[in-house]
Order: sequence, then C-alpha cells, then structure tokens
Amino acid sequence: MVDSGPRLEVTTHWFPTKASGERLFAMQLEYSLNGHPEPGHPSFVEMALTSGVAKALDALPSILPKKAVREARRLLQPWPDGRYTDAYQRTGGILNLFTPPWGAREDEVWAEMLAGWKAEAFPDESARQEALRSLEQRWNHAPHPFFAGLTPAQVMAGGGYEEARLANDFLPHLSEMFRGQPFESEGQTLTKTLLLLRGWSCQSREDGRTPLDIIVAERDELLARREQALKGQ
Amino acid sequence: MAKRKRRKSRRRESRAPSLYVQKVRRADVTLTQNSVEIRDDNWQEAALDWFVPKEPERTMLARYIAEHEDKLGVAWARELLRMEVYFQVGDHEQIIEHYDRAFARYPRCALVEMWVADQVFRLAGDFWRARPMYRYAIAHLPEHPKPYYEMGYMSYVLGDFDGALSWFNQAAERVSDAHGEIAARVFYNRGIVRYFLGGDKETVIADMKEALRYKRDYVQARQTLRGLRGRREVRFVPW
Repeated sequence: MVDSGPRLEVTTHWFPTKASGERLFAMQLEYSLNGHPEPGHPSFVEMALTSGVAKALDALPSILPKKAVREARRLLQPWPDGRYTDAYQRTGGILNLFTPPWGAREDEVWAEMLAGWKAEAFPDESARQEALRSLEQRWNHAPHPFFAGLTPAQVMAGGGYEEARLANDFLPHLSEMFRGQPFESEGQTLTKTLLLLRGWSCQSREDGRTPLDIIVAERDELLARREQALKGQ
Repeated sequence: MAKRKRRKSRRRESRAPSLYVQKVRRADVTLTQNSVEIRDDNWQEAALDWFVPKEPERTMLARYIAEHEDKLGVAWARELLRMEVYFQVGDHEQIIEHYDRAFARYPRCALVEMWVADQVFRLAGDFWRARPMYRYAIAHLPEHPKPYYEMGYMSYVLGDFDGALSWFNQAAERVSDAHGEIAARVFYNRGIVRYFLGGDKETVIADMKEALRYKRDYVQARQTLRGLRGRREVRFVPW
C-alpha cells in the first residue's frame, strides 16, 4: 500500500551564525504562504487579501505548531499605507538569510532621505507631510543596498516556489563546502558564506538567467499578484 | 560596617583577574622583553615606531599626535603598544575589548579606528558597528584607500554590487605603489564586481592585470584572468 498522506522530511544544514539558522524557519514560512499545497488554489497570502487573515490561517495545515501560526499571522497582516518598516523584520529570503540582523537604526538610506526632507523648506505643513509620504513610497520601491538590492516591497512580498527551489539548491552546497571546516572566527565564517552566496547568485544557469534574476522576477510577479488580489477584493 | 568592608576586600583578593586583565599583563611582559620603555621624552617615537613603522600611516598618526598632544602622553602610548601586541598575535576579541576600554578616554583616532574596524567587521562579523567606524576613517583620512576598499568589500558581501563598484572606484583613485596589498585587492574585487554586474570582459581583464601588477603572486587574480581569457564561463564558486 502506498501512503499518500503528509510526509515528514528532516534535513540538516550548516549555518555560519545562530541568527541565520533561526531565520531559516521564517524564510520557509514566507515561501509557504506564497503558495498552496494544492495546485490551482489561491496562495495563503492571496486568501488573506481577499477573504481576511483569519480565513487564511484556518486554511493552514492543522499540524502547524502554534509558533508558526503566530508568525504566519504576523506575515499576513495588511501592509501599511506609509513606509514598510516591517521589511526590517522579514527575512529577505535566501539573498538576505546570512546578513547580520539590522533595522531602522542601521538604515543609512532612510536616514539620508529623512535628513534631506528635514533640511528642505516647504510652503506649508500639508506640503511638508505630502513630501514625507512620497519619500516613504520612494523608500518602499527603491532597491535597498542592505537588502542585497531588493526593494523593501520585494522583501515584504517574500519569496515563492522558485526561490524555495533555489534555496534548496544552495543550502546543501553550503553545508557540503563548509561543514567541519576550521574557521578563525564567526566573522570570517560569515564573510566566506556571503561571498559564496554572492558568487552563486550571479552564476548563470542553463537558461542563461542567474538566481538573482529569477528571485527578483518572482518577487515582482508576487507583488503583481498581490495588486490583482487587492483589486478583486 | 567594618566587618562588611573586610569581607568585601577579602572577596576582591580571592577573585582572579579577568581574562582581559591577564592579557594586558602578558602584553606588558612582551613589551618589557622587547626592551620597550615608554617615558615622557620618547612616547611619541615609541608609538610611531611600534604601531606604524611605514608610510603613509606614520605621517597620519604623527599628525594625530601633533593635533592632540596635550590630551595624549605616556599612558596613551602604552595602550597603543599593548594594542599592537594583540594585533601581532591576532587576538581580535582582545583588540576590540581593549579599544573599547582603553581608548574611549582619548580623542578618536581615525587610523586606530580603521584597523580596529577590520577586526569588528571581518573577524567579529559586526558589520553594523564597523560601518560608522570606516565612515569616520573616510572623513578624517580622505586620502587613504583602505576605508573605501573596506566599504566596497562590505557592500559586495551584502550583495550591493553597484555600491561596491562605487566604493572600489574611489579606492582605486587613491592607491599607489605604497599600498601594494590593498591596491591589488581593490582591483581584483572591482573586477569581480564588474563581472557580476555584467560588465565588459576587457575591463575585468584590465582590473585583474592591475591587481597582478601590485601583487605578482595573487593566485585568485591569476586564476580569474586565465578563466576570462579562456572560452569557459568564469566560475567563482565550485558549481
């Protein structure tokens, strides 16, 4: 008899830092929410946009641990009208998996934009606020140097099936390369891992596209699908 | 009250010195073994001879000393020499701790900060702490290519290739034969980033050649150059 029920697969990976190992779980959850176990169904994200977060959470497999459901609830929340500051708490996918955690305090890009806005003279308070709103949108949609060139909106979107497949390609290779290797320090381990990741992300595959191209294209597609879902609400 | 005091002091006596203090003592022993004696009349020379024997860093530190002479002195020079001992044994944790503990009371020295930032970035992996340190070095040592190079390298590992190229270009404008190793790295890494950005092959080749001009035995640059000249795609990773 062939058992077609859910299967539990256990894989182990090598990680350069504890933080990146912990982020893996959130990254995989982001991938899962942008899909659905059964083909042809709207993703959990689309479900949350059209029918509400509660409905999407109900559709999640009941076997999911409470912690994962809590995390899913956070990820499925509606995005704000202003700046997507929640991007600081998202994983940014495989391209950002190993980047040491950072937030608003380290964000030189936003700090510089804000300083420019503060230094500018406006005719009145409403013009000043309007300029701030437009600045926030610019930040949301501009490639950010600390997100490996992804925009905060692309980070908010999370990765999808293709990126999950790529991550599953990279992580075993990383483990194969570095597991058991002697490193001088955690910093050196981290830098070497990141160099390996950057090299891999720019290496053309059989179809001529690099993992970076594939990841960006998929996240853009997910953003477009999000727009569609919001329009059809 | 007297009893409590006595108990406190006994506790202090029995406590072993921290690892940091033990290493400070060991550094002092090393300095004594090397016949280093820091006095009122030689502290500037001792700092320069030990910490930065070569140019252009020697002039940069001399400039800092001249600017802050009244706030520095024998104690500062001793801290700097201890730091040099930690650098020589490659103890990055002690370098960072010593920098935090001993140098906070003195005016910021861009040169010291630049070297400590390397330990913070490359060995401790604290990118976000190292960045403002490099920026400070850039602001105060605008002619030195190293902090530009390090910012470029950090941008590269963070996946910001455009940013990396811009930093490497600024570093390349500042290198000279005096910067041998750093100069070679600037051109090698700029070539790689250009390649990642889909740049013209000839420009990448020119960067690799320039890297080899500064460092003839630069294995990675030689391998990359060989790959670029061949028909096969250059692979920086083994798959």
